Amino acid sequence: MPALALAAAALIALALPIPLQVAGYSYFVTVAFLVILNAMLGVGWNVIGGWAGQFDFGPNVFFAVGAYVAALLAVHLALSPWLGLVAGVGAAVVICAVLTWPITQLRGHYFAIATVAIWMIAQPIGATWELINGSRGLFLPLRPATGPLDAVVSLRFPGRSKALAFYYVILVLFAVTLVLLRMVDRSKLGFYFRAIRDDQEGAEGIGIDSRLYKVIARSITAAVFAAAGVVYAFWALAVFPEQVLDLNWSTFPMMATVVGGIGSLWGPVVGAVLLIPISQLMGATLGAGPLAGRGIDLVVYGVIIMLVAALRPNGLLSLPWRAWGRRLVGRRR
Amino acid sequence: MRGFRVTLAAVVLLLMAAIGFSPSAPAAVQEVLVGELLPLTGNFASLGQQYLWAGQTAEDIVNNDYAGLQVPLGPGKGFPSLGGATLKLVVRDDQSRGDLARTLAEQLITVNKVVWLNGDGTSGNTSLLQPVVEGFGIPLSCHPCASPTLTDKGFKWFWRTGPNDRTMVASVFSFLKEWPDHGGPRDLKTIALFSCDNLFCQDNHKIATELATRDGYQIVASLTTKTGATTLASEVQRLQAANPDILFLVQYPPETTVFQADAKRAGWTPKVIATSNGAYSDQTWLVAQRATNGAAGWIGRDPTAIDLASQKPAWKQVNEIYKKYSHGQDMGELAMREITGLLWMADVINRAKSVDPAALARAAEETNMTPEQMIIDYKGIKFDKNHQNELATGVVTQVGWDDQKHTIWPWDLAKRAGYTMIHPNPSWAERDAKPKPR
Amino acid sequence: MTLVLQAVVNGLEMGLVYALVAVGLAIIWGLMEMINFAHGELLMLGMFGAWWFSTTLHLDPLLAIPPVALVMFGVGRLIYTLLMRRVQRGETFAQIFATIGLFFFLQNSAVAAFTSDYRFVEGGLLSRLSGINLHLAGLSVGLPLLIAGALALVLFLALYLLVERTEFGLALQATSEDREAAMLVGIRPQRMFAVAWGLGAALVAVAGAILANFFAAYPQVGFPFTVLAYAIVALGGFGSILGTLLAALLVGVVQSVTVVYLPPAFKDAFVFASYLLIGLLRPQGLFGKF
Repeated sequence: MPALALAAAALIALALPIPLQVAGYSYFVTVAFLVILNAMLGVGWNVIGGWAGQFDFGPNVFFAVGAYVAALLAVHLALSPWLGLVAGVGAAVVICAVLTWPITQLRGHYFAIATVAIWMIAQPIGATWELINGSRGLFLPLRPATGPLDAVVSLRFPGRSKALAFYYVILVLFAVTLVLLRMVDRSKLGFYFRAIRDDQEGAEGIGIDSRLYKVIARSITAAVFAAAGVVYAFWALAVFPEQVLDLNWSTFPMMATVVGGIGSLWGPVVGAVLLIPISQLMGATLGAGPLAGRGIDLVVYGVIIMLVAALRPNGLLSLPWRAWGRRLVGRRR
Repeated sequence: MRGFRVTLAAVVLLLMAAIGFSPSAPAAVQEVLVGELLPLTGNFASLGQQYLWAGQTAEDIVNNDYAGLQVPLGPGKGFPSLGGATLKLVVRDDQSRGDLARTLAEQLITVNKVVWLNGDGTSGNTSLLQPVVEGFGIPLSCHPCASPTLTDKGFKWFWRTGPNDRTMVASVFSFLKEWPDHGGPRDLKTIALFSCDNLFCQDNHKIATELATRDGYQIVASLTTKTGATTLASEVQRLQAANPDILFLVQYPPETTVFQADAKRAGWTPKVIATSNGAYSDQTWLVAQRATNGAAGWIGRDPTAIDLASQKPAWKQVNEIYKKYSHGQDMGELAMREITGLLWMADVINRAKSVDPAALARAAEETNMTPEQMIIDYKGIKFDKNHQNELATGVVTQVGWDDQKHTIWPWDLAKRAGYTMIHPNPSWAERDAKPKPR
Repeated sequence: MTLVLQAVVNGLEMGLVYALVAVGLAIIWGLMEMINFAHGELLMLGMFGAWWFSTTLHLDPLLAIPPVALVMFGVGRLIYTLLMRRVQRGETFAQIFATIGLFFFLQNSAVAAFTSDYRFVEGGLLSRLSGINLHLAGLSVGLPLLIAGALALVLFLALYLLVERTEFGLALQATSEDREAAMLVGIRPQRMFAVAWGLGAALVAVAGAILANFFAAYPQVGFPFTVLAYAIVALGGFGSILGTLLAALLVGVVQSVTVVYLPPAFKDAFVFASYLLIGLLRPQGLFGKF
């Protein structure tokens, strides 16, 4: 059954955007792109937040590192985004490890504020550093691809095909992320992370170096964020510090994870799949028309979030889906 | 593994949500759909709402019959060349976020089938929209976006009727340079630059640095602050210690308010405070200064001689329409730039006699608009090869003791305005002592 | 040297204002360990409250403090009983999620109700006193901020006495340290949480009402203050009201002294850098109990 469900989900994910694209509604494909991008961030954040149980409010710093490293390499050395991806992820992991090691001394809320601190320090660096052109932003060169191969290598897709192409790019990265994280989840590493979350002293008692594994967990998170950041940079074609360091890149993955169910591999996916279409839909309905410009859609969005939080504080995956499904299947028989 | 089933259900839900959108019928001749993508919530909301009011004003002017109104499409209902079709703005809020702006642009183009995209009102987010419209091949305009980078790249589908920051900052420096020959002081030798840190701020900071160096001013301080400052006391201390003759100030209204309080406390006023947009362009900040004389003597760059333009009957009439939407606020220069741009767009659509992108682009290229048709005093609208309006001007104004802006440069306009400048910049005690306009 | 001393004085004055903003958070987050993303939005409501009070009733915005405090106490309690009490049953992260919802709700309700115009409180006592300084040994102290600071100190002292010296305060502390044990001695934790939220919301709204005399009020005004408030509470240490006060003064001084010499764009970064430095030496904040 799970294998079947996975296959069905994969099939839908692969096939869903094609009719939309054919019908000319590339916007929906772009929404699907955003859903997967944010799901990927959520899955990444889940490693430090859900599995290792550490409050990390500042993973967006690594999203920015990924975006900037790849953009710099593309602007100055005309390197392919795929090489940029490798470099961006590498840089993010190294920077994350170096910055996180000292702050793992701090625990709980103190650790959380330390991650905020790194973000707060990153902001003025991003805004004023001349190498990355400060707030004036880095623009990726706009040059049409010479052929299909060049399009894939350089992530330059012409006009209307861009939405679909980027959807598949992020889908591939997401699939790779999921496979790798599932391996981590089932390995000794996953066990250590959870041991630290559940009882740090106990974990240390059986010889787990809690600081080391926290650094590893956060570096995995950073790698996922950096990979997403690279894709974002080539999708947006411009990197501005206040955009890639936006708090939303930290809070949304957290929200998606909590909506779905923290700690489970699929929780963030559920959250992203629900939250992004809801907010888009409301923006197009409540946020438009005579009430446009008064933020009504976001007021309602806030209420929905609060309702979900009040009714299912442990996430939607905590609902008895299995029993419901069985009842549904049983009735049919 | 129950997660898969949930995912499945969720994906189906997404599909349903997607279908639930009712895509509007392709724009026939009854309605011309224009995407109005603005930052209506989040950090730039105060700008976004002024652009929304401006948009609603333009929509009103095009769709209703204002017989005597001397602006494009003022008289008569709708677009005459499209059989009286009306203009309909499809408004979307991007929450001041680039990724959302980028996504919503695609929504407006592919789902709502807008024929023109206007927005987002801030240069940073607009630069994310440019590649999108280049891909789809529909026109994009952002009239109050002033960053030079937007037109420097030579995009095919982007137009801007407003002046860019280079033009506007240059007007301040031209004024300062020519001032001594028109009875101004000869002792202005040093300058300090004090700005916020986003794209707009840094563009201005950079351009001002270049111009100040070119004109031989000694830059005695060059400070950048983070947007959202809770105190500027130490910055004021530094500026005061540097003791510049001219302070070039680029700050948004909240930070400008903080700066004023800290400067007042330090008892410091430089001889000249020259601003570039930010608070100086914000109507609510300007109005609030009536209670304190806080802006008296401040100099700033504007795209228009607001005191002269507002004497035009068309300006007054448009302002009355604007006030219907702005809960009674007068048009500031940002709203004037936006309304002028949107009416230009309406004129382009009307001349194109079609909503076909190629026809629109051709009509836009052929634009040659004269000053009489505008509520703003550009020398006209005519585009250079990068689609920057080369007739967009910068003027320099000063806020007087009446809390109104008065044109002080260019000199011919200043003569017409007939205003006697305040110099040097009054001390805080003098501001307190003078009667307040309100 | 005078420059630095003056910067220290300025920083201390500003620090008192920060203390006022942070103290509400010190109760909700520092004492009760509940995360509130919408702290700045409560501050914003206080600012709008004072603005509305002074423009419609034409009274001094300082007089808005009692009604604002009263209303916001109710709002805080409501937030707890309707939302946070249920959220508390789940993971800690659910609190982040819930209060992000609250953040969206409050900030955009303000957009809907007041528009995004900048609002300026006019004609109050503090704005009339602006520009008046007291001079001491060559240093000047701004009177309006001094008055605001004094108000902050009074409130702080009252709160300190309430938490440290009254039976209620002891019950509050007991609840924060061990809920089960508190229940055993007859304390109803949910009542304690509700009052803590009421107090926290009221205090930060009072801070807002005072701040409205110095800052433009607009729906997005809260964020820079929230970020500083979190740094202050963590720097002061969890569970220490006095720690919050001292940390706030330290943050004010760090902001103003560093910027005398270093790039102002890094002002808040310096605050957080000092948090990291101090955190590495004292992982529990300056005066943290836990």
